[in-house]
Amino acid sequence: MKPSDAGGPLDETDLQILADIHDLFDAADPMPPDLPDRIRFSLALRDLEIEVARLAAEEDQQVLAVRGAEQSRTITFDSDSLTIMIRIDLNPDGTARVDGWLAPPHSRRVEMKTTAGTLTVAADEQGRFAFASVPRGTAQLVVRPADQVPDGSGRSVVTPALIL
Amino acid sequence: MNAARDGSEDALGQIVNELSPLLWQVARAAGLSSGDAEDVLQTVWLRLLSHLDSIRSPAALTAWLVVTTKREAWRVRAAGRRQLPTDLDWLAALPDPAPGSEDRVVIDDQRRALWTAIGRLDRRCQELLRIIAFVPRPDYAAVAARLGMRPGSVGPTRGRCLAKLRAVLASGPEGSPA
Repeated sequence: MKPSDAGGPLDETDLQILADIHDLFDAADPMPPDLPDRIRFSLALRDLEIEVARLAAEEDQQVLAVRGAEQSRTITFDSDSLTIMIRIDLNPDGTARVDGWLAPPHSRRVEMKTTAGTLTVAADEQGRFAFASVPRGTAQLVVRPADQVPDGSGRSVVTPALIL
Repeated sequence: MNAARDGSEDALGQIVNELSPLLWQVARAAGLSSGDAEDVLQTVWLRLLSHLDSIRSPAALTAWLVVTTKREAWRVRAAGRRQLPTDLDWLAALPDPAPGSEDRVVIDDQRRALWTAIGRLDRRCQELLRIIAFVPRPDYAAVAARLGMRPGSVGPTRGRCLAKLRAVLASGPEGSPA
């Protein structure tokens, strides 16, 4: 192999090395194959004026109920203007119950997009909302602005897709 | 890309399929756990929706996605949710060569030599090569420029990290660590 300098143009050997590096990492640390599906799910809202809420914290709590161990998850999302906290509990029928809080409190329309369709509830003046029964699987929360504000400040806040 | 901007889900979905493996490597090379890397990729793609209007070319799109993924990864790390794994943790991940034909053994020796050589580079070069190896070739120059590799006057240059890797590979296995 000829000595190669850093300023030289890419040659065939470089491209082969890069292709080999690609294959190595693709085998050693592959992306989860279902991740693009979840990403495409969360991009399905064709709403370009959105504010993205990032996952800020997630906690699993083993709740020892009378009937046995039940899992309860608490997830917090932060966007520039809003914090969304949700608690996910499993219903006996296999669906999920989602209780949420918006901070600062706002009465807003809150949508839960699922693969089976979209559920809509209203958050009260304390910012509380609840979805009593959500099919399990991939879901995404969208918090709509109170009113369509002409100055553009009324953007929807959206979370990444989560697995209920 | 124009189709994606105009609201075609198929066009955007195709871009998601093509470029997510690259962004996965960017997030993982930045030291994120699998779970954090998944969160970061989702955030990056959602943020793209608000930026589609300002991105002019496929190369600029790839560069924007790579840089934004790096920034989101720093943000997660700065929030202290996870510790950075120790250097070269991923080196242990090279699968053992499968039993097979002579050819297979030769290929595995080459892979092992490359893996070992990458492990002898500094962390910045490891990260850079890992990312660049997943970038579509037409977008290489734009991404390399955004990652701080000086583009040449004619086209993409080899760069310091690839030159070093070739030097390590040329020096043979005798210099490899135990």
